[in-house]
Amino acid sequence: MADLRVAVDVGGTFTDICIFDESTQSMQVTKVPSTPDNPRQAVLNGVRRANIDLGEVELFSHGTTVATNALITRKFPKAAMVTTKGFRDVIEIRDGTKDDLWDAYSDVTGPYIRRRDRFEVTERIDYAGNVVTTLDEGEARRLGRLLKKRGVDTVAICFINSYANAAHEVRMREILTEELPGANISTSAEILPEIFEHNRFNTTVANAVLGPLVSGYVEELDSNLTKDGYSGELLLLHSGGGSMTSEMVKRFPVRLAASGIAAGAIAAQHVAEQCGFANAVGLDMGGTSTDISLVADGELRVTNDWEVEYGHPIVFPSIEVLTIGAGGGSLAHIDIAGSLRNGPQSAGAAPGPACYRRGGDEPTNTDANLWMGRLGTDLADGEMTLDRASAEEAITNKIAGPLDLNVDAAADSVIKVANANMADAVRLVSIRRGLDPRDFALIAFGGAGALHGVDVAKELNIPTVVVPPNPGVTSALGCLLVDIQHDLSQMFTGVADAADAETVEQHFKELELEGRERLRHEKVAESDGVYERGISMRYQGQWRSLQVKMGNGPNALREAVQLFHEEHEKQYAFRQDETPVEIYQLHLKALGKTPKPSFRPSPIGTGDPGEPLEVRDVYFDGKWHSTPVYQRENLPSGAAFIGPAILNQIDSTTVIPPDSSAVIDEWFNIRITVDTATGEPAQAAAANDSLQSVK
Amino acid sequence: MTTIASAKTETSTLDPVTFEVLKNAFATSVDLMSEQILRTCYSFVIYSRDFSSALCDKYGNTVMQGSADIAVHVGTLHFQCKAVMEEFGNDINPGDVFLINDPYRGGTHFNDVSFIRPIFAEDEIIGFAQNKGHWADIGGSVPGSFDVSASEHFGEGLRITPLRVWHKGRFLHDVAQLLVSNTRAPDQALGDLNAQAEATAVCEREVLRLVDKYSKSTVLDAMQETQDYVCRTVLASLGDLPRGEWETVDYLDGDPAKGEGLIPIRVKLTLDGEGIHYDLTGAAEAVSIFLNSGYGTTYSAIYAGTKTFFPEVPLNSGFYEAVTAEIGEEGTVVNAGWPHAVTGFCSGPYEKVMNAIFELWSQIMPERAMACAFNLEYLLVGGHDGRTKSNPYFMWYDWMAGGWGGRSTKDGSSATSPVFGTGLAVQPVEGQERLTPVITTQHSINTDSGGPGRFRGGCGVNKGGILTDAAGAVMSYCCDRGRSTTWGINGGLPSIPHGVWLNPSSEEAKYLGATFSNVSISPGDTFERPSAGGGGFGDPLERPSAEVLEDVIDDYVSIDRAAKDYGVVITEIDAELDEYEIDEAATARERARIRSERDSWLEADPAEVARQYCHGEITVHDVVRKYGVVLDWGTGEMLPKSTNQFRDSMRTRSAAHWG
Repeated sequence: MADLRVAVDVGGTFTDICIFDESTQSMQVTKVPSTPDNPRQAVLNGVRRANIDLGEVELFSHGTTVATNALITRKFPKAAMVTTKGFRDVIEIRDGTKDDLWDAYSDVTGPYIRRRDRFEVTERIDYAGNVVTTLDEGEARRLGRLLKKRGVDTVAICFINSYANAAHEVRMREILTEELPGANISTSAEILPEIFEHNRFNTTVANAVLGPLVSGYVEELDSNLTKDGYSGELLLLHSGGGSMTSEMVKRFPVRLAASGIAAGAIAAQHVAEQCGFANAVGLDMGGTSTDISLVADGELRVTNDWEVEYGHPIVFPSIEVLTIGAGGGSLAHIDIAGSLRNGPQSAGAAPGPACYRRGGDEPTNTDANLWMGRLGTDLADGEMTLDRASAEEAITNKIAGPLDLNVDAAADSVIKVANANMADAVRLVSIRRGLDPRDFALIAFGGAGALHGVDVAKELNIPTVVVPPNPGVTSALGCLLVDIQHDLSQMFTGVADAADAETVEQHFKELELEGRERLRHEKVAESDGVYERGISMRYQGQWRSLQVKMGNGPNALREAVQLFHEEHEKQYAFRQDETPVEIYQLHLKALGKTPKPSFRPSPIGTGDPGEPLEVRDVYFDGKWHSTPVYQRENLPSGAAFIGPAILNQIDSTTVIPPDSSAVIDEWFNIRITVDTATGEPAQAAAANDSLQSVK
Repeated sequence: MTTIASAKTETSTLDPVTFEVLKNAFATSVDLMSEQILRTCYSFVIYSRDFSSALCDKYGNTVMQGSADIAVHVGTLHFQCKAVMEEFGNDINPGDVFLINDPYRGGTHFNDVSFIRPIFAEDEIIGFAQNKGHWADIGGSVPGSFDVSASEHFGEGLRITPLRVWHKGRFLHDVAQLLVSNTRAPDQALGDLNAQAEATAVCEREVLRLVDKYSKSTVLDAMQETQDYVCRTVLASLGDLPRGEWETVDYLDGDPAKGEGLIPIRVKLTLDGEGIHYDLTGAAEAVSIFLNSGYGTTYSAIYAGTKTFFPEVPLNSGFYEAVTAEIGEEGTVVNAGWPHAVTGFCSGPYEKVMNAIFELWSQIMPERAMACAFNLEYLLVGGHDGRTKSNPYFMWYDWMAGGWGGRSTKDGSSATSPVFGTGLAVQPVEGQERLTPVITTQHSINTDSGGPGRFRGGCGVNKGGILTDAAGAVMSYCCDRGRSTTWGINGGLPSIPHGVWLNPSSEEAKYLGATFSNVSISPGDTFERPSAGGGGFGDPLERPSAEVLEDVIDDYVSIDRAAKDYGVVITEIDAELDEYEIDEAATARERARIRSERDSWLEADPAEVARQYCHGEITVHDVVRKYGVVLDWGTGEMLPKSTNQFRDSMRTRSAAHWG
């Protein structure tokens, strides 16, 4: 009986495997080292390590960095771009801006396809879709032959205004298909039928350069899994918080460019929902960086503003995640003016923190946490031993000495600066959405999130921190929580009041037809298909459009306009009821529902956490505290603590400082009550009470 | 020299954590303002990031400026804050908000409106939150308030001297109404007025949170120490640098009231171990068009130019303490004063001062050296749109990316936003075509536009358009460097001149120049203009021929110019398959010939050069790069005074470095 659901999330250092057994409603997690040279290997290793019978697997979901890495390393097949005469440099000129505003030696990277591989043909369509100059077919055919001569494997066809009329792109594709049999061809109006040439062209170019590689990866993995007994569809997580089957990946490989980035945010949303929080901040802190996500009113924010490298936009809906350069390996240093700084430079995996004893002599957050006893010397079940003496030496030489502090105070200073930086980043993300973080819960995960979570929450006056059961593999869990999802859109310009509801309906029907077609292609049963409409509108004369949900039926458009006014006020702080509202774009989210894990709450026991593993000295607030350390896996639901306490587990360490209290909830989350106001020691009983009231 | 050790002892009262946390928190308080204004602004110009934010201390000095602020506002916010303090003295209350845009009180130009809110703790002013944003229109004789032909400010737009718009929390609607009623889009202006005022409140809230948490005196100390920190950082960075004086001169194209002749802007830099000192005395008299700078923008250019060599240093008044400048008496192009028109400062002295500073620092920090960048430019076509029945007024308001100068280790950056504001994005053609009856015929990299050098200047861009269905259309252009062409350094060569051509591929082709206003155009007219590339860095004859070949394959450099500018002789074998061959023997001969002859080219008879240009025997590239001659590019008329000045510049910047 196939009742296992497997998620594999490939990261830079580790590949995480998360297995949910529907028959027992239980979860099992495993980690294997990633194999960057052949990422498929780590996936298969993980499956083997977890001892999964693929014949028992009902659903296999996968987040991969294959596409992202290819875009960073620029390992592309022989690619070409074909565009309108006069416009071959659109992807090189971009919008002209620089990421680094002040450093004149820091340049934006070059385009994905070099100038010599970009070709022009005579054709032109105007803004309304009228043909100004017909496509010169003779020229198009000669170009096809030339591309063949040049050995091109993949082509991006990008014509100006093709979003308004795709006829020339379609014809160009036909000609190239004849002249270049077997080549991979992407057309801009199919990949992203939206106005603004640079965004559309670059997204299409990214699709073209990724095509052969990503398709190849997915195909091989698919066949490996099938050979080993898996009979379902291989689902690949994409940027929009959904997944797609390997078949669709071949047409839209660029959507995998943000695979995995969204997984952590989705998991944070799940944990928040499980605990009854409508508003939450996800703090996913790893070795080199921290991903911050926001759940507001139960929803994650989606943005179209996304890129792997600055200046090369990939315009598909993506879950909004802010990444900052603060992680366990972030380096603390004294700058030229004598001030203490933390990050964004990182010791990375090599040499790593000083306490790894791999040649690093700069102090990192990990070194400071180790010195203060917050982190134990045994890591990953004893697979790694951290060296306190090396940490001490690095902190002494680089921080304590220059600042004339003792090692304890220096280590504490390092961590305080790191925590304040993370809190500042959360403040910025929140105001971007007009929200106040004090109304939020903080979901702390990633390898280092639970070490810092409570301190960051305290900085932000956030009263509750939740640490999920397996903080280090929480992202993999996210892969199990999504549906198959296609994000379709169509430009539509006109004033909403004057728009013919029938015409709008017609356009949505067309999008639905396409969505249905794609889901059918992915073997989604008709009854599992769900279609959600959205519409982007703006006040006439404005540049900034806003997407709102839209229903069906005769009043749908009018209701959407009302919703637009309300959302506009919420997001941008004003509304203009007198100004005509203009429709800009129609959206359709085509969902193929997949089965989700149904977690079973465990009965809440007594508050007794049992005997600690050990008691060690941990540095908090300027002094050492004798602190019990518990093995988290052994703790029952209901176990309650008054800080200070440390909860140890294979993939993470949770720190509960002296003025906070914690309890293990029925989902095995650690819920920490942060005493933000009084500074008085919290009561374990109070924590347990709050747990009861949430339920 | 300030050492790390002595710097540490200067950190007086705060412990290192509190200082670092508060310094970063100030930056966040300012960036929160920026996030808020991006979310709530009405003006598309503000949304394109033409705004800045600052936290000023109780003396009006800047504690922190926004991390993503536009360069051109840098170093003007404290002037505006101090102007408000001077004007209102003790009459500044909790809940007040003040406005100012006065370029004669340290502002930039009228469109940039600053909002200043005092922050009170325990009945005492502890600082000011300021947000400055570019309003799409601020009245005056032309839409958008950029009147190229203005010589005095009266027709340019509304001048706002320090003005109270909220009094003790009460909105003075009559004052606000007077302001917005003098713009072309009052509703939009009122929207931005509210949004900007609210943004300053966000900063106030954040600073008060810090006061709550750390105490008023700690926050006040940190405000001062954050400035000291920046000053100390700059001084510490100067420690290993040489001391001395460096001097250079850059030019505006000319003053129409005075006949031909470039307008000099001299910049002298002194490093004496105690700071960075500039001297701009000796600049030319203010010009009769709007390409002048007020003192605020000249200081801004000085700070922004210097900051380019200290990219990591945060911006605040500590920086302005380490960097001092003498800009001379009022009445010059760099200190124009009332009532000279200054709205076009951005195309005029601003980038000249920045590029001159780049050149000076290139000698001091060779590892960050950079030749001259292209000039900020914008083209306006306005008229009635014939595509719809109502014939609405349209504005095609277009600015381009261009090339930056070659550097000591790599080529210049191609197709990049102006140094005036590297966050300023060029607009998508498809968006423009929806809104205006102009079809863009090309938007592409301009072959051979990068100034030749061991490290080539970045490439400029070519943009061409055709007016379709319009009535009563006129075109205006705000640029410069049509004559004072973007220069190379350390032996590198210039790029190409700026300027607009009307109907370039017809018999009636007409060169309109690099600044002009209200030229009538009709449906069917085509127009085209390049943006310059960057100047070259180092002797082009020392560029390895393999690198020139790569440029030829990508068509950044033509085969013809590869030979003329670099002396690299390339034979085409099969261009379709990128197959070319370098003729090594011919290259060696050509390079030897150029080396022996090139000094004399700068002495060639300019009249003869002009003749050859008129007869199509040589191109503008030859005229500028080979002979250093300045012509009216339309008529071919030789401009003797400008030629002499430009040749002087080339002798110093290029010829003097040729081995």
